[in-house]
Amino acid sequence: MSYTLTEEQQLIQQNVREFAEEYVQEHISKIDASGEFPTEIVNQIAEQGFFGLLFPEEYGGVDAGFLSYILTVEEISRTCAALGSIMVNHCSLAAEAINRFGSKEQKEQYLPAMCAGEIIGAYALNEFCADPGYGESKVVAVRDGDDYILNGKKYFVMNGGAAGVYVVFALTNPENVENGMSAFLVDADTPGFSVVRMIDKMGLNGCPTAEIALENVRVTAANLLGKENEGMKIVKKLQPMFKLALAAQTLGIAQSAMENSIEYSKQRIQFGRPIGKFPAIQTMIAEMATNIHIGRLALYDTAAMVEKGEEYETEASMVQLFVNKIGQKTCLDAIQVHGGYGYSEEMAVSRLLRDVKGTIAIDSASELPEKIVAENIIGL
Amino acid sequence: MSDALLSPKHLEIQKKAREFAREHIMPVAKELDAKGEYPWEIWKKIVDMGWGCMIAPVEYGGPGLDSVSVGLITEEFAYACLGVMTAVGSNNLSSYPVLLGGNKQIQEKYFKDLLAGKIAAFALTEPGAGCDAAACTTTAKKDGDEYILNGTKCFCTGGGVADYLIIFAVTNPDSKDKLSCFLVEADRPGVIVGNVEHKLGVRASNTTEIILKDVRIPATNLLGKEGEGFKMAMKTLDKARPNVAAQAIGGAQRALDEAVEYVKTRIDANGKPLAKNQFIQFKLADMAMKLEGARQLVRHCQVLKDLEIPYTMTAAMAKALSTDVCVEVACDAVEIMGYYGYSKDAIVEKIMRDAKIQQIYEGTNQVQRIVISGQMLRS
Repeated sequence: MSYTLTEEQQLIQQNVREFAEEYVQEHISKIDASGEFPTEIVNQIAEQGFFGLLFPEEYGGVDAGFLSYILTVEEISRTCAALGSIMVNHCSLAAEAINRFGSKEQKEQYLPAMCAGEIIGAYALNEFCADPGYGESKVVAVRDGDDYILNGKKYFVMNGGAAGVYVVFALTNPENVENGMSAFLVDADTPGFSVVRMIDKMGLNGCPTAEIALENVRVTAANLLGKENEGMKIVKKLQPMFKLALAAQTLGIAQSAMENSIEYSKQRIQFGRPIGKFPAIQTMIAEMATNIHIGRLALYDTAAMVEKGEEYETEASMVQLFVNKIGQKTCLDAIQVHGGYGYSEEMAVSRLLRDVKGTIAIDSASELPEKIVAENIIGL
Repeated sequence: MSDALLSPKHLEIQKKAREFAREHIMPVAKELDAKGEYPWEIWKKIVDMGWGCMIAPVEYGGPGLDSVSVGLITEEFAYACLGVMTAVGSNNLSSYPVLLGGNKQIQEKYFKDLLAGKIAAFALTEPGAGCDAAACTTTAKKDGDEYILNGTKCFCTGGGVADYLIIFAVTNPDSKDKLSCFLVEADRPGVIVGNVEHKLGVRASNTTEIILKDVRIPATNLLGKEGEGFKMAMKTLDKARPNVAAQAIGGAQRALDEAVEYVKTRIDANGKPLAKNQFIQFKLADMAMKLEGARQLVRHCQVLKDLEIPYTMTAAMAKALSTDVCVEVACDAVEIMGYYGYSKDAIVEKIMRDAKIQQIYEGTNQVQRIVISGQMLRS
């Protein structure tokens, strides 16, 4: 399966795979069990230059192109999806927001440090928590001379607690969500900024996820990212790219689930032969392989469109729609192939299901991919 | 059969089970999952209600519940926590071999004990014998008036907390009917609780390895006759399938209810409740359709069982369909609820983790398909 990757892209893919197998593999159980941010490994990733793949050389990046970035996210997630999430939230959301919408000063201040992994970025957009008693959480920014004063709560902020800088979306015109939201760069040590608690989740443990509070956080106009009331523009610009990065994660996880299933189906003997000889198992593995292959073709093709500067919003949602379905199915079936053993936490496949559900479910702040695809192609 | 068609007697049992589950199981489900703790307190209360063994016959002090009733209780308990129901369910599963093959004395003592709060565990699976249950290597060697058991069982639900074990072991290695079934008191010398499984879900239930080292039991503990083990195991799973199926219905209903509640409060990017979004409405309708279809099949199967009409194929269908639906609905619920659903602040992520085992235990859904196609294609 060639996927028409360039030699450079194949090399990057190979390097990341080797890096992940050599330096990350042995730590995944610990990362999953503790849920702690794996600082040392993150530093190693930064040293490899993976955080700079998307960004210009003048800001400390290596500008390797979007497909190389996607291949990297996929390979990292194949070994450790939580690490993939750290990378995606850091690069595709926080750093990319600065790269696309930041002033020269903001880029100079943050991007080199983010490419080097000295500062981790987080993207604080989500606000909804269905818990009764969670209360009002909207973050509102009120202008005060040259400053803004931010108040409110953000929910489910990935990289929360570990990040040095947060892209915080706040209402500057609370009457109008669509045209009244602005983005601010808020350093973690800004007075009034706090991590309320860490949020436990099904998987992706190791990518810490927090509820954060802003209490009279005073930032200057220099912290405004992009223009006032144009925060939604940032969200919309980044969303399709985020979807592709999530799809890369999902495919990486699915790939691992399939590899585990193939291996197990060769070893496990029932009724006198390896279970890989039974059509019941073969059907599941054949579907895994087919689905992953097709998903990857679509993902890489769309990533190439991004590189060429083509419009790709529809395709990104198509990729998300397809990959979400097959990613989940692959991981569910992988457990099924392993039988009772697959349900044990000692087997990778149980973690892979917990992880893949995250890359599928967490993008709920954006429109449903079905809606985006349909509206774009029907055009009404 | 929908709730509207249940008899007053069944409705009363459903109400009793629902009130109990909402009051005593639901509030602690998350905590039991987080700690992986056996639900001892809940268990004691269930025993106090007389449901310590739901299928115990009336003559031994049992609650006299028919299959429909057991299913209704199971649905309600599972609605509150699939882990707790899995733990409680082991007393039902394990009791079928005793009913099928225990003499009167054994039955009397066994059921009296279970109704008083003792726990039984069903130990068929071995490291090398999963779907291929006949490949068991645990042995039982006759020695005078005793049998001596040796071997290792795994994935035994309730293994670490059980007072009684139902053990399948080879008595006649050269025969095609080589397996026999035994009742083994867990406190007998040589019964060792091995590895405790850390599982993806149903963490309130206890799952362990059981190691048997020269365990001596009286020959009267043989259930059924020598060589009848495999047949008894299959009959047991046959009888237990409607219960697993009911459990899956309860779990799926909870996931659906959680999603429905969520979409009423969640405001989407366009400023409207998700409930107004037709994409979501249709998704919920799909979930409800699948669930209702599965529920009808499951309850139909229970009625067949109560009327003693052959139900083997229906039970296999009900088990596979309802557990597949439970996994699908739980996965969909998490997806609808997005990042909140993925967090442990919500319950649906737990339901999704819990649901998955139902497609595997008591006969994988692949085995159910073997049963279904086997029934269809024979003759």
